[in-house]
Amino acid sequence: MSAPDKDNPGRAAGASVEEIAELLLDRPLPPGYREEWTRHFAQIAGDSEASHTPDGEESAVVIFRIGEEWLALPVDVFEEVAPPRTHHSLPHRREALVWGIVNVRGELLVCVSLAALLGVEAKAGERNAGLKTFARLVVVGREGARVAFPVDEVHGIHRYGRQDVVAVPATVGRSGASFTAAMIRWDKRLVAKLDGTMVLDALDRGIA
Amino acid sequence: MLFLMFRIGRDRYVLDVDAVEQVLPLMDAKVLPGVPAGVVGAINYRGAPVPLIDLGRLALGRDCAPVMSTRIILVRYPDGTGGSHRLALCAERVVETIARPPEAFVATGVEAGTPGYLGPVLADAGGLIQWVRVEALLSPELREVLFRTGEVA
Repeated sequence: MSAPDKDNPGRAAGASVEEIAELLLDRPLPPGYREEWTRHFAQIAGDSEASHTPDGEESAVVIFRIGEEWLALPVDVFEEVAPPRTHHSLPHRREALVWGIVNVRGELLVCVSLAALLGVEAKAGERNAGLKTFARLVVVGREGARVAFPVDEVHGIHRYGRQDVVAVPATVGRSGASFTAAMIRWDKRLVAKLDGTMVLDALDRGIA
Repeated sequence: MLFLMFRIGRDRYVLDVDAVEQVLPLMDAKVLPGVPAGVVGAINYRGAPVPLIDLGRLALGRDCAPVMSTRIILVRYPDGTGGSHRLALCAERVVETIARPPEAFVATGVEAGTPGYLGPVLADAGGLIQWVRVEALLSPELREVLFRTGEVA
């Protein structure tokens, strides 16, 4: 395997990660790239009224996965997404919600289980068995009060317009129904967008 | 304070993220004949035309290279009366944000000769990074050309 891998430029030549990133960033635009994005952004998001208000038109959430469940939280409750860390359990705190404390860049944070709060199965999903996924520790909070919880995967920031919001079905199952603010269409599936304030409130109550 | 970093030519510049609405991939702009230097044209953003300025062309007279890391920064440009217009800025290497206190930026010492949109600089291991002020990016004439006609229509 001495020939350079087409999907992996620079690998064969022993290039560093930085050099590979450089190559990827500096590669010319693929054919049709500009045209496709031009078409994409020419579409009017939601109703035409909304496109005149700079802020009301799109919202942004961070989409992450716990077990089999894809969930979304508004970006403004997010403080940090960190690599997973070992947590230290606390004496006499053996309930499902509070796992213990974690050290995030020198700051000790309470580590909770969002899965336990929402009642979703925290078992790692087998759906992406062929795909490499990366577990992450997510830090959320407000006004300096921060908590951390582990997730199985973070997709990233997703922006959505009003046309992608679907009302929560009345027959929503056990999985965090009361915390779900809306359903968002994402990549051919529906993601439960959680109410950030309600989740933080519930975590505060659970920790105390 | 969080800043969005980009390059014009070989040098690094930053914008205050508060002014940035979105970073968009490169897209085709409708050419506006007869517009002043620096203005490429208008892009169709969600059905509304947004003037596109090539920062490379504005600052150095050389267009940004058409590569993946060249992106369009959609900023809110204050119109001076409390409202704002959208303005699209094309810049190279729009791939990074940095968090720095505003006090870390110091005056360059050569303010007199430089365009008004160039602010103080920050030194790091890679050299100097200059703060670009969105509100001073357009000359009064350019502002007139880009936004006044829209109000009349």
